[in-house]
Amino acid sequence: MSVVMAEPNDDRGPWKEFLCRACGLIYNEGEGDPDSGIAPGTRFHDIPDDWSCPICGVRKQDFEPYERAAAIPLSAAPVTRRAKGGVVIVGAGIAGWSAAKAIRARDPDIAITMITNCAGHVYNKPELAVALSRGMTEERLRREIGSEAASRLGLRLIAETSAVGISARGRRLRTTRGTFAYDRLILASGARAMPPGGLDPARCWRINDLNSWIALSNRLSGKHRHLAIIGAGMVGCELAEDLARAGHEVTLVSLTAEPMEGFFPARAGERLRQGLESLGIRLHGGVTVTAMEPCEDGTSMLSLSDGKAIHVDHVITATGLATPSRMIAAAGIAFENGIVVDPQTLQTSVADIFALGDCVSIGGTPCRYVEPIAGQAATIAAAVTGAAPLPYDHRPPMIRLKTRSAPIVVEGSIVRGGEWREAKGASGELIMEQWVDGSLTARLVA
Amino acid sequence: MSASSAALTMDRTIAARPPAAIPALDIIANIAQVQLTPMAVEIDEGHYPLEIMADLGKAGAFRFHLADGGHRFDLAISAMETISAACGSTGFLAWCHDVMGLYLDQSDNAGLRERLLPYHAVARTFGGTALSNPMKSFAGIEPVLLKARPVAGGYSVTGSLPWVSHIAPGQYCAAIAQIEVEAGCESHEVMFLLPFDGRARLRTCPKFSGMEGTSTWGITLEDFFVPVADIIADPVKPFIARIRASFILLQTGMALGVARGAIADIRAVHGHLAHVNQYLSDGADELEPELDALRARIMALAATPFDTSRDYLLNVLDARAEGAELCLRAAQSALLHQGASGYLMTSAPQRRIRESHFVAIVTPAIKHLRRLMAQLEQDPSPAQEQGR
Repeated sequence: MSVVMAEPNDDRGPWKEFLCRACGLIYNEGEGDPDSGIAPGTRFHDIPDDWSCPICGVRKQDFEPYERAAAIPLSAAPVTRRAKGGVVIVGAGIAGWSAAKAIRARDPDIAITMITNCAGHVYNKPELAVALSRGMTEERLRREIGSEAASRLGLRLIAETSAVGISARGRRLRTTRGTFAYDRLILASGARAMPPGGLDPARCWRINDLNSWIALSNRLSGKHRHLAIIGAGMVGCELAEDLARAGHEVTLVSLTAEPMEGFFPARAGERLRQGLESLGIRLHGGVTVTAMEPCEDGTSMLSLSDGKAIHVDHVITATGLATPSRMIAAAGIAFENGIVVDPQTLQTSVADIFALGDCVSIGGTPCRYVEPIAGQAATIAAAVTGAAPLPYDHRPPMIRLKTRSAPIVVEGSIVRGGEWREAKGASGELIMEQWVDGSLTARLVA
Repeated sequence: MSASSAALTMDRTIAARPPAAIPALDIIANIAQVQLTPMAVEIDEGHYPLEIMADLGKAGAFRFHLADGGHRFDLAISAMETISAACGSTGFLAWCHDVMGLYLDQSDNAGLRERLLPYHAVARTFGGTALSNPMKSFAGIEPVLLKARPVAGGYSVTGSLPWVSHIAPGQYCAAIAQIEVEAGCESHEVMFLLPFDGRARLRTCPKFSGMEGTSTWGITLEDFFVPVADIIADPVKPFIARIRASFILLQTGMALGVARGAIADIRAVHGHLAHVNQYLSDGADELEPELDALRARIMALAATPFDTSRDYLLNVLDARAEGAELCLRAAQSALLHQGASGYLMTSAPQRRIRESHFVAIVTPAIKHLRRLMAQLEQDPSPAQEQGR
């Protein structure tokens, strides 16, 4: 039993604590260190200099004042796991929540665990591309708090946790908060947006999830800023319009001369450019960024391949997504531009591991649209609950470019470099069809 | 009892090896079986087995991974696995010795390398590593405890380290100190050879729950002079960036060995306890394929030990963490399978429980590994810097 001195009466404030930086022992002035001859109530500064840590022996100088930190909320603590794994879902984006919902609809009892590196809040990612101009807030974008969605669906949500390894043989998923057994594993882990090589990722915004949108929104809040968006694909064009409508000065930097060039026919790209320019967006086409220099005030100077330079407050890159391959490859799961899945069953090359959403590739091509996800989730839900197979029917989704200045809709599957023909449309409407080897592959309405 | 069964499973890793390496690994396996296994309890309780370390060194156990051995980290890990399956403490000593060799081998200080490495590589001299604290420091977990002041011809180092293994009077270790140009003004760090020639004070450590034969001491330095000739790396961070993954990867040899030993303990009682052990999970047939799969992954990683990519480091950290977890499960299971006989203080499962705990808590501990992986999984972006 340790004797603890009551309140100090030396006018030097309450008893303080000191932490051994080597072993974590805490010296409490009220308790002293009687085993080493330091009486209870000895101020740390009054301890002789030859005193050492009673546990590990380091010197008095190796202690530092210790302030007890606030308790870590329970949700961040490791969770006890049952031996039987049930279904484990990696990812809490649209794909992860769709899978959870579809499985729960089929089976009220099956154990579902969801592992996600974010808080797990439910939101609709496509909305992020138009949210600033609509004056959206975090609260309005967030449709449901992650923990509430989890309790509604009766699943265990392990938030702020990264999946790091899969042992297919032992049916175990390793994460940064422990190892989880599974019977069926569903990968809905999405894709990463990385800036083009040579640009410092710590200085390039990418808007690929709610957290990054919230951070950018906070940074821009109430200010008029000059923003450079690098990449004039779908996301780049949509963000450019959204930011311009939100009152910012926007320069869209593109490798191609026209936005969406190579994917859209030239006439549609031209229309899109005209629409964006009508909002005051400057399109800087046919160039690459050769350097990005930070300025002292936190702004950036972008040097372009045509010798020009632009001074901007923030840089947003939208040069495409890539599915992280490390964990997949290490687990021996086939990967080709994404996690390879069977187009009908959505099973990966390894038994009992399925994948859906942005992280998969079908026929070597990733499919990063929201529309097919519900069908993918339904197929996987049938498989993991032991229901009759519900084959997935992969069709190219309808693509809607959410640029109100020049909205564009595409049906079918665009073949890069394919021939485009103009078709008859209503007045002011541009309709183009792509024909490859005598058959219609895509139809675009602008 | 468990010893002979440990030997039975040893051939599993040998099958895949090139012929030239087999004699050395066979000799190491023989030393492990004949010398280490009978001594395991005594070593666990406090005997520092330098005589066996010398024999292992003579057999080549500590030079596979060096330039001279062709950077065969796979063989170094295999040797450590074999040693650890017989005795976890000696497996840890092998790791300490291996990484000290690695520092010398990778150092730009050719004079120091030529002076010490030929003896160290064959265990004619012995030395460990005092990098637990700086490794934690570089991961943002705690500050560097040793401070170095530039003086004529080198540095003057002061400070204490709580526990450093595989050291003794007449031996040495590698240590890292924070350079303070003047009081309170910290510069970079320096890594140096710390010889125990009487100037450094060795303090007895409190009693540990096991692995007492690893000759673990607290160190106190007071104005300890480090000549330029003894500097291993200055600055340290680029050096650590180069060797960090291999430093951690080598530790997996301990995990593989302790887990293998535990699986052998389970098999050892199969004959007379199968009728009741069938009700236990994590049996040998369940654990062994997991161990084999992990070993295969580790051996693949061992082919590129100096890869500095983020993905490689993540794979190494993941394998190291899985090894620690597998060790804990296997040791726990071995104790349950052996029952009362495994609960005897001198039984192999009892010792392996403590060895598995050691694998789980030695730097980088499971919690450190997970924290590091969580950090590496974060994509750098301005959103991160905002501290959300």
